[in-house]
Amino acid sequence: MKTLGRWLAEHGIAVGSPIVTLCVWEWASATGVLREAFFPRPSTVLAHLVQLGADGTLWAHTAKSLIRIGWAFALSAVFGVGVGLAMGVWRRLRDGLDPVFAVIYPIPSVLFLPLVSFLVPPGEIALVVTTAVTSFFLVAFTTTHGVRQIDRLVVEAAVHYGARGPRLFAAVLLPGALPYIFTGLRLGLGFALIVVVAVEIVSASTGLGALLWLSWGILKVEDMYATFFVIALLGAVLSYGLAALRARLLPWVQDVGAR
Amino acid sequence: MPEPSPKVVVNEVTVTFESHGRSVTALEGISLQAQVGEFLCIVGPSGSGKSTLLRVLAGLVEPSGGQVRIAAERPGTPLTAMVFQEHALLPWRTVRDNVTFGLENRGVARAEREARAREMLAMVGLTRFARHYPHQLSGGMKQRVGIARALVTDPEVLLMDEPLAALDAQTRTIMQEELLRIWAALGKTVVYVTHSLEEALLLGDRIVLLTARPGRVSQVYPVDLGRPRGLEVRGSPAYGALLEKIWSQLREEVVRAMAEDRGGDA
Repeated sequence: MKTLGRWLAEHGIAVGSPIVTLCVWEWASATGVLREAFFPRPSTVLAHLVQLGADGTLWAHTAKSLIRIGWAFALSAVFGVGVGLAMGVWRRLRDGLDPVFAVIYPIPSVLFLPLVSFLVPPGEIALVVTTAVTSFFLVAFTTTHGVRQIDRLVVEAAVHYGARGPRLFAAVLLPGALPYIFTGLRLGLGFALIVVVAVEIVSASTGLGALLWLSWGILKVEDMYATFFVIALLGAVLSYGLAALRARLLPWVQDVGAR
Repeated sequence: MPEPSPKVVVNEVTVTFESHGRSVTALEGISLQAQVGEFLCIVGPSGSGKSTLLRVLAGLVEPSGGQVRIAAERPGTPLTAMVFQEHALLPWRTVRDNVTFGLENRGVARAEREARAREMLAMVGLTRFARHYPHQLSGGMKQRVGIARALVTDPEVLLMDEPLAALDAQTRTIMQEELLRIWAALGKTVVYVTHSLEEALLLGDRIVLLTARPGRVSQVYPVDLGRPRGLEVRGSPAYGALLEKIWSQLREEVVRAMAEDRGGDA
């Protein structure tokens, strides 16, 4: 009982704020403060969510989106970490690529879809590659910075104790950059979800983005909110999952907040 | 009987850096020697190139002129191992894996390097912390790991770059006594850089005083205060006299360094 009390004291706000929001929304829709046609009650949305899950629609679309996110994330992780490490180690490469990245990075990802469709087979592959673009830049940026921020004295000590070439890279530069790489991956995964929904809205008939847009188009507002909810939940699960993975894989990282 | 040959010979070493397009002379014509098993302290004002001199000995900085010779007696062991200021441990390695890092890079087999690490961790009193990460240790404990990491490679010469400067006064005092104990047990040749005269007098066999930039050898003082030496030496008249004598010289250099810094800003 006492531990529950302490847990509530620490996480009360995090647990309470969504509950309060939902309660206020429920009340507002029920009493007509919000128009129920556009803002259905959370309890109604929940009923629709259960129904969408029961008839299999939701799972099919969610699986489709997850597969796309998985491929896009894998692409951006492999190329982002690779390019980022290279840029961190070789100054000339960094000097050359930095301005190019700075120009491309702020372009909204969805706009790459036509461009990507010229370069790779349109359809599923173009969709995945487009989703990967922004994530790639995020991962590459953070990885480069991760290599650059390693304490020079630590590198000097490692060199003094005989770490050279590939050994210096594997034992010092890569582990030193890992906390930043994980941050980049977490951001990249979040952006993959954002972009995949946008791309599905624009050019797909499957996936959560498509389901959301279709529900809106035929004014099945409750289904639209149900999809919203799934997307939000997915984002939270992926983000916290990667954070938990980082805490498990990098036990030596000292969080600033825990100091 | 043949004259004992020196362990470390530094001959007319000069180091110049390029800094902001200007060439800065950090060390100029440094010559000194350390005998086998000697504890040699290097003292000087900030910017006298003390750390640079150690890095030349460690092979991390190439001298612009002059030579360094370290007599290698045991093949297969490194010439030098350095204890860094601010410890410079690898944060992602446990205490034990930090200690074995140098041995790993030299291709020593796992069983042997773990046995040697255990022995060294026992010597610095960290056996119970072998599986901890550096961020879980206090400043003094981190520096003990730094010392174990250096000693485990069994170097010909141990280099120490202000290893206790970042510690609080009480921890520093304890660590000084520890250093004396370890040095007495292992008999290593040590080159020890410090800005603290008191520390140099407590630890050193001789004190080399460097001038303000560019660093040159100003004076070499033998420390005839006997061994084994403990903190009680600070109460002896000989200690006070020597401190007074070296400080009057060091003071001049410090004042000169400060005046130069102000001149540089103008």
